[in-house]
Amino acid sequence: MRILVVEDDAALASFLQKGLEAEHHVVDVARDGEQGRSMALGIDYDLVVLDLNLPGVDGLSVLRSVRQRKVYLPVMILTARGRVEDRVQCLDSGADDYLMKPFSFLELSARARALLRRSHSPSESLLRVRDLNMNRVERKVERAGRPIELTTKEFALLEYMMRNAGRRLTRAMIIEHVWNLTFDSTTNVVDVYINYLRRKVDDGFPTTLIHTVRGVGYQLSADGAVA
Amino acid sequence: MSASVHSYPRPERDQELLGDLLHSLSQPLTSLRCNLELSIDEVTEQQQQSVSAALQQTETVIGMIQLMREYLDVEPGEVEHAAALTPVLRSLGENLSSIAAVRSIRLRVLGTSAAKVRVTESRLRLALQYLMLALIDRQPAGSEITLLLTEGAAGTVLRAQCDRSFLDPESRSAEKGRDRPAQRDSVRATMRRVRLAIASRTLNAAGAALSLDDGAPGFVLRIPHMD
Repeated sequence: MRILVVEDDAALASFLQKGLEAEHHVVDVARDGEQGRSMALGIDYDLVVLDLNLPGVDGLSVLRSVRQRKVYLPVMILTARGRVEDRVQCLDSGADDYLMKPFSFLELSARARALLRRSHSPSESLLRVRDLNMNRVERKVERAGRPIELTTKEFALLEYMMRNAGRRLTRAMIIEHVWNLTFDSTTNVVDVYINYLRRKVDDGFPTTLIHTVRGVGYQLSADGAVA
Repeated sequence: MSASVHSYPRPERDQELLGDLLHSLSQPLTSLRCNLELSIDEVTEQQQQSVSAALQQTETVIGMIQLMREYLDVEPGEVEHAAALTPVLRSLGENLSSIAAVRSIRLRVLGTSAAKVRVTESRLRLALQYLMLALIDRQPAGSEITLLLTEGAAGTVLRAQCDRSFLDPESRSAEKGRDRPAQRDSVRATMRRVRLAIASRTLNAAGAALSLDDGAPGFVLRIPHMD
């Protein structure tokens, strides 16, 4: 996919470019609003990641210009403004998503994938990672043909991990997406639920799918590892 | 960002200055966090421990900045929204009961009310989340927390009752069953106090009256009828 990053902070722009390129995207960077608007309108992108606070033409003006000419181009806003009114203004102006600084790159990457998926394919009712299968409509999970009974929260956690298979997920991302709560770094609920899932999904199978990523969080491995 | 701070009265000026400071801090912190996240796979195993520790410290700082931002964002008397109390409380109760269950604590939400609170739904949710998490955090394993909604002539009362006394910090650490540095417990206690202050400020700004008796297990929230 081809992604445009419009960000005036050189260090941050460079980290975003490096991270997104490592995920096999082609990434262009614009350092101000005028350049960003010109590139977004002139080049065929799959996603625009747009900082709101830009020198010259601000991010909101760029967003409005893009929305007038490219209705379906996904735009993710980055901003240090966290007020509800700012968020509402961005979404009303046509932003598809909104990420507040200081964000995690892993969060940005996950949201970028969701936007790209939304614009390219219908929502999947069946998820599959190796021999693990989930039917989201019937709310059934089985591994290698063996049914797995999950509680509502366990199901939601596994669904989130399967949707992001092969990607690292922080505890904050998990608690915000699965529990819909603001992350509290002192709670260990994520670790506890990961253990519940491990017992049901990995125990008794030769290949483990759920892995701890030290210092980061967890990952459902798409390629697996021998237990 | 403020163009001219001198045109505001002092409290608002201080708030604006602090807001600008937090806004400025978020940019380098985003770069730092993204850099550490992307570096973790590029360094040796020995260096990974250092990067991982630096990432955790960075996330603690970011968590504190987020709390300061939430505290500053409460603006009395300017909110035109009104959020229904019962659905927010019930939805939170469902999400938080799975967190409480990890420590064998039973969380119940009883009663119903048509009360609305003069605050956005997301802010009401955040305030109640902080109040309820503080209770869960300080209750001993095996205890029970009841949130009871009652309606009276003057308005609605939400009473949180616990069947045991709060844990002291030493018992809490012992219950955790792992070595927890004193500094971490201190950070945890500070963050809990700030969260309670945010909850109190948010609810008081919305016209409700929150009684928090420090040391006593529970709280009382009184919500007058809206005009």
